[in-house]
Amino acid sequence: MADTAPNEQLFRFAFTGRATEYFRIWIISLCLSLATLGVYSAWGKVRKKRYLYAHTALDGTGFDYRASPLAILRGRLLALLLFGGFALCAHFVPLLEIAFIVLLAILSPWIVVAAARFNARNSTYRNIAFAFDGKVGEAARVFVGGLVIVLLTAGFAYPWYRAKRARFIIARHRYGATQFATDLETRPFFQTYLLGGLIVFVAAAVAGFATSGAAAVRGASLAGTAFLVLVYLSYIVAYAYIRARTLNLMANATIIGPMRLRSTLRVRPLAWIYASNIVAILATVGLAIPWATIRVARYRADNLIARAHAPLQTYARGASRFATATGSEVSDLFDVDVSL
Amino acid sequence: MSTFDGLLYDGRHAAFRRVVVEVEDARVAIVEDDARAVLAQSDISVDAPVPGVVRRLTLPGGATIETADHAAVEASWPTKGTIARAAFWLESRWSMAVAAVLITASLVWLIVAVVLPLAAEPVARNFSPRFEEAIGAQTLKTIDTRFARPSLLPTERRKAIEEKFAAFVEREPGISGARLEFRRMPFPNAFALPGGTIVLTDKMVTLLDDDDALMAVLAHELGHLQAKHGMRLVLQSSGVAVLVTALAGDAAGMTILAAAMPAALLNARYSREFELEADRYAYGHLARHGSSPQALADVLRSFAEDKRTADVNDPLMRYLNSHPDLEERIRLAEEAR
Repeated sequence: MADTAPNEQLFRFAFTGRATEYFRIWIISLCLSLATLGVYSAWGKVRKKRYLYAHTALDGTGFDYRASPLAILRGRLLALLLFGGFALCAHFVPLLEIAFIVLLAILSPWIVVAAARFNARNSTYRNIAFAFDGKVGEAARVFVGGLVIVLLTAGFAYPWYRAKRARFIIARHRYGATQFATDLETRPFFQTYLLGGLIVFVAAAVAGFATSGAAAVRGASLAGTAFLVLVYLSYIVAYAYIRARTLNLMANATIIGPMRLRSTLRVRPLAWIYASNIVAILATVGLAIPWATIRVARYRADNLIARAHAPLQTYARGASRFATATGSEVSDLFDVDVSL
Repeated sequence: MSTFDGLLYDGRHAAFRRVVVEVEDARVAIVEDDARAVLAQSDISVDAPVPGVVRRLTLPGGATIETADHAAVEASWPTKGTIARAAFWLESRWSMAVAAVLITASLVWLIVAVVLPLAAEPVARNFSPRFEEAIGAQTLKTIDTRFARPSLLPTERRKAIEEKFAAFVEREPGISGARLEFRRMPFPNAFALPGGTIVLTDKMVTLLDDDDALMAVLAHELGHLQAKHGMRLVLQSSGVAVLVTALAGDAAGMTILAAAMPAALLNARYSREFELEADRYAYGHLARHGSSPQALADVLRSFAEDKRTADVNDPLMRYLNSHPDLEERIRLAEEAR
């Protein structure tokens, strides 16, 4: 990639949220959600997301999340009725479990599209809404077709599937009238997942070897615990590696009109953040969750920049039927947030 | 008159202009340099306030004005929604955050220790026997294909145990359809499945080699059947799974794995409670059949001495273990004598 073309400008992402402030929003949301048997969780979700969006700034302006809590509540009720009931039945009758998986597979393209659409049209930047135009049919080809091929190849096509999925999701997004584009390649995804798998495999082998030696000397359960901790640590490292690499690949391949993103996440800091987050969350019986969320958001924003060869104000709103920025409520029954 | 600064976004382009907003007599003037637009105050809608988040005013036509001046917006457009007002008030105070931590902890304790067990019991008791039998049969099938082999015990020995067991469960209230299944597995073990099947492993029979001891073990398993522990555990652990997901749902990605541990701990806690409950049932059952709880204590002691179960008393493993401390169970059994 060329360093900086003459007419290219650099726009920085920054995260300005504070753990202390976010903690209060988070704990009130949690407490009221429990006390209202989950009903308040829709309001809590919107308030938490609004805080995180508002404090994620590009070129000094924060993003905005405008979803209506009632739409989220509707979506959750639908999901609860549909899947909660089914999952409970499937727990007792194993045959239903297969039916449940089939149902999920059939519905998953619709769920993906509906959730992406809901999230995009409720996300705005400088009063211009994002949009997602993916069709259910295409989602079915990508998700269900892709998964079938993954199964047929005994999992070896998984990186290919992830790359295909990412291309679909990115390229069907719009910012106002500006369509996203992506030149994401599949090959680096294969390299990433291969190395990630290798990290876990080698670590498990080394840990198994080392602890079987230790087991002869010390108690068996102590060695077993040490083995588990080592394997778990290697999971974290592998996960951080795959996260950092794939997020970088996806961001760096994203083209939004005159703009290109540049993500520079690194494995070691990310693995450290994940590992220390887990320890902190366990040690505080969960109270560190908001702090953990803020840390990850800050690290990701600090490592993301945008380069554009036109000023940001050249982005314009989309066709009027998509101009939902003002929240002209579309009374579509299926316009709900169905994230599970 | 109240005045505040803001950024005006026209909604057509991703651009903004610095403006000053003046509110007076139900009229709002938006001032940019020399230009000045006047609107009715009631035509402007404002978003719900969140601490630390800029306020957004929406003008007719879709333009918005963002401002950090919460107080000025609140003075001219007091928040109407009860939920939004209450949430903002609660989120703005540390005292409320501390109170929320305490209330959340108490609610979690209440749900885990009281509500879930209380709710699971009547539900578990109202499943139809046929339904329970179907689940038990399905579970046994899974065990047979994955872990167990047919028993190698002599037929006479099995017959003898079965006969004794039949007399043992006769006229026992709350138990119907209890029957024995013999299997060969790597450990001495006995467990009850929903629907009334009790599985006894060959190693258990040979380890005990004493009918009184065997009946004590079966009395304990009957306790599980009588109290519907199998179904209750399924229901309660489903509840725990929902609860833990709700609590830790925000922990993104890998961190969510931190939630698996508390869930396992809570399920182990339920399981330990059920073991003690089954023990208590066994004392009474043994007494009714002219036997003594001492028989159970003896069995437990022989377990404690058996090397294969030694790990159970490793202090590190105890918290993760589904069975309570053997020493404690022996003590309780001997007290019940």
